[in-house]
Amino acid sequence: MSYWLSSTDFASISPLLILLAMAFVLLFLESFYDNLSKKIAGWFTACGLIVAIVAAFYAPDSNNVLLTAWLRLDQLARFLNIFFLLIGLGSTLLAISFFKKFSSSPGEYFFLLVSSLFGLILIGESADFLTLFLGLETLSIPLYILCGYMKQWHLSHESALKYFFIGAMATAFFLYGVALIYGAVGTTRFEELMIGYKTISSYEHYIIFLAGTAFITLGLCFKAAVVPFHVWAPDVYCGAPTPVTAFMAVGTKVGAFAAFVRVFVVTLPHFNPLWNELLALLAYPTMIYANIVALRQTQLRRFFAYSGISHAGFLLIPLAVGTEQALPALFFYMAVYSIATLGCFAVMAQLEKDDYGVVLGDLHGLAYRSPWLAAVMGISVLTLAGIPPTVGFFAKFYLFKIAFEAKFYGLVIVGLLTTILSAFYYLRIVSLMIASPSEKGETDVFSLPSLFVGALSVAALVAFSFFPTPLFDLIAQALL
Amino acid sequence: MINILWLFLLPFVSSALLIAAPFADRKLKYFALLLSLLPLFYLLANVTSSIGSEINLAWIPSLGIRFHLSIDALSLLFLYLTAIIVPVSIMAFPSHYVMPALFYSLALLLQGLLVGFFTAQDLALFTFFWEAMLIPLYFVITIWGKAERFAAAFKFLIYMIAGSALMVAAVLALYFTTGASTFDMQSLAQVAEHSSFAIWICAIFLLAFAVKTPLFPFHGWLSDSYYQAPVAGTILLSALLSKAGVYGIARIGIKFFPTILEAWKPTLLALAIIGVLYGGMVAWRQRDYKRLIAYSSFAHVNLLLVGLFVLSQVGYSGAILQAFNHGITIAALFLLAGWLESKIGVTSIDHVSGLAKFMPYLCWFTLFFVLSSVALPGTNNFVGEILIFFALFTYSPWLTVLLGLTVILSVIYMLRFIEKIYFREPLLYQSAWVDIKPKHMLVLLPLIILVLWIGIYPSPILKEIESTFTLLGAAKP
Repeated sequence: MSYWLSSTDFASISPLLILLAMAFVLLFLESFYDNLSKKIAGWFTACGLIVAIVAAFYAPDSNNVLLTAWLRLDQLARFLNIFFLLIGLGSTLLAISFFKKFSSSPGEYFFLLVSSLFGLILIGESADFLTLFLGLETLSIPLYILCGYMKQWHLSHESALKYFFIGAMATAFFLYGVALIYGAVGTTRFEELMIGYKTISSYEHYIIFLAGTAFITLGLCFKAAVVPFHVWAPDVYCGAPTPVTAFMAVGTKVGAFAAFVRVFVVTLPHFNPLWNELLALLAYPTMIYANIVALRQTQLRRFFAYSGISHAGFLLIPLAVGTEQALPALFFYMAVYSIATLGCFAVMAQLEKDDYGVVLGDLHGLAYRSPWLAAVMGISVLTLAGIPPTVGFFAKFYLFKIAFEAKFYGLVIVGLLTTILSAFYYLRIVSLMIASPSEKGETDVFSLPSLFVGALSVAALVAFSFFPTPLFDLIAQALL
Repeated sequence: MINILWLFLLPFVSSALLIAAPFADRKLKYFALLLSLLPLFYLLANVTSSIGSEINLAWIPSLGIRFHLSIDALSLLFLYLTAIIVPVSIMAFPSHYVMPALFYSLALLLQGLLVGFFTAQDLALFTFFWEAMLIPLYFVITIWGKAERFAAAFKFLIYMIAGSALMVAAVLALYFTTGASTFDMQSLAQVAEHSSFAIWICAIFLLAFAVKTPLFPFHGWLSDSYYQAPVAGTILLSALLSKAGVYGIARIGIKFFPTILEAWKPTLLALAIIGVLYGGMVAWRQRDYKRLIAYSSFAHVNLLLVGLFVLSQVGYSGAILQAFNHGITIAALFLLAGWLESKIGVTSIDHVSGLAKFMPYLCWFTLFFVLSSVALPGTNNFVGEILIFFALFTYSPWLTVLLGLTVILSVIYMLRFIEKIYFREPLLYQSAWVDIKPKHMLVLLPLIILVLWIGIYPSPILKEIESTFTLLGAAKP
């Protein structure tokens, strides 16, 4: 047993260290050289994230107890790290475009974004409730600020405040759940949790443990925006700046589900059928409610909030199934959802002109004004709708296959029926874009960084539509 | 193995080529036409060796989906139809419309998807192509349709998606509840009825196919979509898309669930016969020839479904042959209607008359296909319909009498249309219209030859179709 960290150990947590160093440098730059920071902060972050991705890819495993007590550095963590960092990179590029368009100063924006990413990575690597909690908080606190980052925007005030209050409450529930579990089994370490649960002797402790898991589930459901814990999402998404919304729609959601996987699938697989039933019960209203309400949305950020909620409902399906075999389906769906959503936000970043963001009407005739943007948006929403030949079809197919195998017939039927609704609202976007060009001679202002995000996500979607196998293999490898 | 892969890939490659093609207007159209004819040439060049050609690769191993295509006699007939109709549709597209390259590309995309659909041997792949073929058609209606195109396209798409929404569940149910643990259609056909949900699965599949064909009363989308779509799109919808539904019933319905269909036979027959009657009546009352042809198409498709639902060899042969015939005839009728519309500018039958005097060729060609559509002996539809009537007679003579009345109905509405537009006293103020050109006739010529060939000497095709029914019958447990 060593009491020192060797260079291999440092290398294994290098993504975290790189992010930490970046955060410090960004803060330092902003404090002392704000003119320079204004110019290069975004690109510095983007480059740093690329380095972090490379580091995450080559990070060796470590079994130093100083680390493994808190962090779990397995294949899954590596996969999640790369996934989170890519989302961060996408959001960064969108932010660069955003600040150029609104010619405001990024200031501490990128510092906050990098801090949030740090939290996400902690969630993916957590091996203890304390690390998980730390990750959730490190993810959330910068996001509270980021939501209200555009201080002049009226919409943002409500957004930031609401997010802060509800987020803080969710965290409190989560923490209370952790405390209850600690009370029941006397540990917060994941690897001892299952044994602790199985050796619970008294009925009181059993109840306390279950209550603890219920509170933790509740806390995570808040973060993932699952009905009925979703009320914050539409208002917050609507008011936050577009790159922040993109990060929340993808990063926070994926982070919450990564936490679910860490706690309930990897650590406590099928500890109690009640929990799986509970998640199935949450999935029904989430899919139904979000899909119905999304039909009436016109502001796109708000629309994607509801679209995100409905996809959270779909993502609950493999969690309800809760087996190791269900995980590839979850991650596959998550990856497809993230790529497609980033593609949509890349287009929105191009089109928005003021704080109210893009409304459905702005998309009118887009296919004639800027056919490539329309193609990006079109392919992305078709993927989200799960219409073949896009890869979204396979993502949905995979989920339903897993659910059917586990005999969750109701979830399959409701899921499929709600896809009719989702097809309706996603295809309305496509319809609008190819509707005849509007009379006003509008021109869109292009910005390269966000175009790049759009191009990249569409390239990925098209490639995976025809050859989904590499993505499947990648995920299978992560779950070995 | 190479054989079918080429056939499948050709349209997709052509589709991509067309987007990038540096040609304009006329040249582009001929280039597209040439590309769309390639599958037909390919089929004709391999006329002896195409049946049995197969490709079977692992596509998505983790889902158990295989890229398994193979051609049998049933597929082949629909493949020929696809290969013939897409070029016709491209010819029907006026090159002065916006973005012609996109249309050609979408038509070829549809061709590729249909080739995949008609040859898929993996049920997941089958579902994949089934859903995917909606997208090109949706764009065709939305971009090039008439004034109300958005509503029509939307209705079309929502009907289609709602109709087949549960198909994925049915496919999965076949995978898990029959104990087969495979999507291979050959193996599933043997065990499909053993599933505890067999009735539900069958109902879900039938619903999806019934909406697309469409069987009465699932035709709510038809009139608007056919009417609002550009003529080239209407040809694709009526001649190809509805045949995908027929193919589905033949391939999945009859092959997978023979006993269940046998039990549902009275209901299905009743719906189809009501469809024929209803379609005929509605067509009769139309004042718009595009809608009239749309409803006549609906009536004829229901007639062929009658043949299919009798579930006998004769009925089956008649129905499948009729699927091919109807595809040819309806494509020609819509093509001619489209030319007429482009010349006189309206689709109403009240405002024009006596056009035979000004456009004799257009008139005579229309008359020929109208006669083929009302099943004049010697034309293709006669053979198909007589087989269907024959099959229905062995099941129930009275129903046959009832259905026989509808033939008169179709004569009434079709001849009313042709009489009103072409043969009445010409109105004085009509200017001299320009008749169709020889190149137009060149497009019609192959269709005429097919109509007459099947009408006079159908036995080679019938023999092939019959062979597939014995194949289907063997699947019965």
